[in-house]
Amino acid sequence: MRSGRPAQPTPKTDTGETIMKLAKYAKFRQEKFGGVLFETRSEKVYALNPTAAALVREIGAGCDERSLVARMMDRFSDSGGFMEREVLAFAASLRAHGLLEE
Amino acid sequence: MSVPATGSADLGAPLYIAWQVTNECNLACLHCIEESGPGKAFHDELDEAQVFSFLGQLMDHQVPYVSFSGGEPTLHPQFFEMVEYVCGRNAQLKIETNGHGLSVEKAQRLQRLGVKAVQVSLDGASRETFNRMRVRGDFDLAIAGIRNLHAAGVPVEINYSPTLFNVHEIGRAVDLAYELGAYSFYTGRTMYTGNAVKTWHRLAPAEAQYAAFFEVLHAKADEYRGRMRVYFHEMGLLEELRYRLEHPAALLIVLPNGLVKLINALPFVCGDLRHQPLEEIWGNFQRAWRDPRVAQFVEDLGADSRKTSTLHQWIYL
Repeated sequence: MRSGRPAQPTPKTDTGETIMKLAKYAKFRQEKFGGVLFETRSEKVYALNPTAAALVREIGAGCDERSLVARMMDRFSDSGGFMEREVLAFAASLRAHGLLEE
Repeated sequence: MSVPATGSADLGAPLYIAWQVTNECNLACLHCIEESGPGKAFHDELDEAQVFSFLGQLMDHQVPYVSFSGGEPTLHPQFFEMVEYVCGRNAQLKIETNGHGLSVEKAQRLQRLGVKAVQVSLDGASRETFNRMRVRGDFDLAIAGIRNLHAAGVPVEINYSPTLFNVHEIGRAVDLAYELGAYSFYTGRTMYTGNAVKTWHRLAPAEAQYAAFFEVLHAKADEYRGRMRVYFHEMGLLEELRYRLEHPAALLIVLPNGLVKLINALPFVCGDLRHQPLEEIWGNFQRAWRDPRVAQFVEDLGADSRKTSTLHQWIYL
């Protein structure tokens, strides 16, 4: 029989938002073209453009989805009004690839 | 390892260092591609200062993933200090070992240091086949080492090299790996190089045996999906090398004496850590993959698959 580890409480912000962080086996490195995210268990490499790299840096520093959107809006122009949707979609994609822990 | 949307040439440093830290080994396996064994340490292996200078460069360049292999890496005199250095600086470390020396205490120490995984070679589901393949080896010691790792909470991977006399055990070997608590199982075709050149007539499975072997693996991959990952490379070496010519992995193979190879399955050396910094070697690595001699070697391999017998006759690019 395999023993499971006890579940750890999920970190939350003061407002109850879940704090995202990179998964244990996901390693980020800044590159000239943006960045690279290396999932060392599957040995898959994800190349990131500068915007995606900035998002991953923010996640690496620890933040919830709401503050991630706010920080990206501070940094980049949202002339089309798509920023929130795209940031949330990106976070969902990281989650789907097992690159986020919450 | 694949790099979607960009290639290793776009990266500022390697992502993965596979370091054969010593050629010394307590076993003398029939198929060992490095011809390791007792008394087989290179006379010019990196000394302690060179080892830690190299590790420092890796951490400075934020290389995220390192593996220690050999030979038997746990026999390196600074083994645990090296593990501590890498794990303590936020890189991930995999150790590739025969598992024979992994006592309860050593397994617990590896867990405390935070190794990402330990890969143990288990070429057989029985004492008979394992001990035949792993000369001086002991199936029970390998199993005990794996059990110690699992009990300590160290993630375990199993590596399996198929041969004429163990190829039929693949299904049981996958089951055994799962019973022992492994989270991954790796296998592929055994290479004609190193010790295998001398023992090939006793080792090489026939194509029909390989076909049955991969058929079992497909079924086992499905059976264990979601519980243990079963990885296998059906592709032959030639197809793999042709792919790598177009898509070099961001991986450096480091030999015990600090020479850096393009890839294990080619004889080409693109740097020497004793005399060159990592960034210079990384630049050489990019150029070396485009050297016509590399493509020619791969093409020649298509005509004569036994050229892999010369992989230890290094060619400096």
